[in-house]
Amino acid sequence: MVRMSLFGTTSGFGTGGTSMFGSTTADNHNPMKDIEVTSPPDDSISCLAFSPPTLPGNFLIAGSWANDVRCWEVQDNGQTIPKAQQMHTGPVLDACWSDDGSKVFTASCDKTAKMWDLNSNQAIQIAQHDAPVKTIHWIKAPNYSCVMTGSWDKTLKFWDTRSPTPMMTLQLPERCYCADVVHPMAAVATAERGLIVYQLENQPSEFRRIESPLKHQHRCVAIFKDKVNKPTGFALGSIEGRVAIHYINPPNPAKDNFTFKCHRSNGTNTSAPQDIYAVNGIAFHPVHGTLATVGSDGRFSFWDKDARTKLKTSEQLDQPISACCFNHNGNIFAYASSYDWSKGHEFYNPQKKNYIFLRNAAEELKPRNKK
Amino acid sequence: MGVCQFFLRGYCRFGERCWNEHPRGGAGRAGAAPAHVTSGRGGGGGWGASNQRYSNVIQPSSFKSDAWGGSRDHGRGFFGSSDFGSSGGSSRNADFSQNRFSALASSQSAADGSKDEEERLVECVVKDMEIWESSGQWIFSCYSPMKEKPNVSGFSDVSPEELRLEYYDSRSNNIIGNYIHAVQELALQWKNRLVQLKALNASTKASLLSAFKTTGTQPAPAFGMGGQQTSSFGLSSFPVSSSSSSSTSASSFSFKASSSLISSASPGSSPAAGSSSAAANPPAFGTTSSPSAPQSAGFGSAAAPSAASFSFKAAATAGGFGTCGFSGFGSASAVNSASTTVLPAFGAFSAPVGSSASPSSSALFGQSASASGHAVTSASAAATSSEKLFTPKSELSAEEWQQFEAKEFTIGKIPLKPPPLELLNAFDLVSLFRSNMF
Repeated sequence: MVRMSLFGTTSGFGTGGTSMFGSTTADNHNPMKDIEVTSPPDDSISCLAFSPPTLPGNFLIAGSWANDVRCWEVQDNGQTIPKAQQMHTGPVLDACWSDDGSKVFTASCDKTAKMWDLNSNQAIQIAQHDAPVKTIHWIKAPNYSCVMTGSWDKTLKFWDTRSPTPMMTLQLPERCYCADVVHPMAAVATAERGLIVYQLENQPSEFRRIESPLKHQHRCVAIFKDKVNKPTGFALGSIEGRVAIHYINPPNPAKDNFTFKCHRSNGTNTSAPQDIYAVNGIAFHPVHGTLATVGSDGRFSFWDKDARTKLKTSEQLDQPISACCFNHNGNIFAYASSYDWSKGHEFYNPQKKNYIFLRNAAEELKPRNKK
Repeated sequence: MGVCQFFLRGYCRFGERCWNEHPRGGAGRAGAAPAHVTSGRGGGGGWGASNQRYSNVIQPSSFKSDAWGGSRDHGRGFFGSSDFGSSGGSSRNADFSQNRFSALASSQSAADGSKDEEERLVECVVKDMEIWESSGQWIFSCYSPMKEKPNVSGFSDVSPEELRLEYYDSRSNNIIGNYIHAVQELALQWKNRLVQLKALNASTKASLLSAFKTTGTQPAPAFGMGGQQTSSFGLSSFPVSSSSSSSTSASSFSFKASSSLISSASPGSSPAAGSSSAAANPPAFGTTSSPSAPQSAGFGSAAAPSAASFSFKAAATAGGFGTCGFSGFGSASAVNSASTTVLPAFGAFSAPVGSSASPSSSALFGQSASASGHAVTSASAAATSSEKLFTPKSELSAEEWQQFEAKEFTIGKIPLKPPPLELLNAFDLVSLFRSNMF
């Protein structure tokens, strides 16, 4: 049974479309009336990342299943200007920025990772795996810097971009599905509910393997920080509409760690079976510490994990939301509306337009209670 | 002055000061009870008997019976799927129960306090299966009923991205039919397993429970190898990280069917296949890794020449040999793009028996399979393929077997028969499908 209409009517916007305000079309591709990024990718968006604070202004990069990575400048008035694009020979699964904002690292199904120098607009390969590279993160430690790549070949590799051989290779119990890095901590979730935390000081090493707090396939992970800006735990999302909040060293694990349900249809209290959707992405607001989740149901939600409350849930878009991220100061929340394959190939419509929306996030993500 | 009802139940907060009568006869129940509670749920464990008393009094419907032990699902009262709108005030539903089984206890009939953990587990599994079936959630996912429990066998973990890539690859090779077929097989596998678990006859139940008991936690073996990895950072002589853990743990997704039950008995790499990833490799790599040694001095040295020499000897495999696993840039990238096999294959062989095969990097049918670290268990070929795609081991001569096992074919000794199933890994299977144009 079709749970949602994924084949929404096309809005008729060409690639040069700008803001959707005041749209008269009846389709539901932007029910939240958020700003639409111009020239979105031609196939599903797999990842989004905003530039770090070291770069003046806001630049957004998005990797897609059309094998490309695109970069836009996002101006304060909301206008988005396409800047540049790079290609891989396979779909791009992840992308990230270097800490100084001069390079973008991209990970692809073509089993390589590339470093894209934005100034020269040149990209070179910096990593190689035996299977698609699913995650890529830049690590900036006091005594070293490197790129961390996680792959379906069950390894985690660390690369100095100047050398074709990795500085280090760590074995994973299974295929890497998602990862996050907030120095000095890295969290990696793998297939078969694997979950490992690494510490990155001096050199990366495995810190702890954690029993998964979730029952089903891991899908996304995001590290959060404590009041003094140190990473202290992570949020883990699964395909089963559930997110687990897990602290690494909580005073009272049974009480501090918890899971909550999200991205489900008809809210609880009914006895009718719910529709359960996957959590495709989790992002923490850099200032407030509250989090956003996006799901296959085509909605995004904001949550306050300390007050354990939901702050907001969006209207339902006509496509799943496949990725999300905040900009460096938390003013902008970007989310991508594109098919995530959650219903298999039958629901894939290559003609359907993909979108990236930008939303002002300064107010909506304020924590519920002052602690 | 009437008889104090609370006293009779064992917890009158006023005690001696109470205005009602406390008949001595009913005093037996004291127990640890703190103040009497009006709402149904207690906070914190240890409510024991008194909890059950209220179990059928107030039962908030959000207290779904898919009880979840371990880390408490506090979602019910808080985030929950119940849209508490602008939340905040929902704390009155606080069910901070730390007793992991309290949910189970109260959501079932009152008299079940003595239910076995096993029974609970099994019920949990059944309920979860029902939910899974009706929810429309992603079906190619692993599953475990409770935190510390290992994954229930029979469910293969495939992410949507992996499937999607498979589709894209198939599409570019014009063999979407293969993909569809493979997905249908996997889906059927899932459905069968799900139905089996829901029905839960005696034998399924027994094997399920024993799996939970024996394997304890699958990560356990790996746990011991926690610090696996390399020598000091910055040096590139990376000995390996214990690859054995990766081969023993749930091997490849597609053939997980039964693999965990069986693989706990026959850990990972079957001896027959010979080269269990880690063990066999180190010597072989002893030589090849040496070119990389000079790199310990610094980065950026010796890159190109040594890299090129690696090509596919790698069989990279689980051995985490960073240097070896990696075919240098220039040459390799061409090769890599040639072989489009990327993903572990689909369960066209969805048979129950898994005999794990170690990755074989031998070129099949002239195609260079990209060596992968996936140790895959492939099922008995006989079960599904009607055409002779594989040769049963028994039909191969020793020499032919040796050829298949070797990293590369020796010219003049290339076997004419198709390779044995045992030595094929997932990637090879996919390329086989393609080459045979199903």
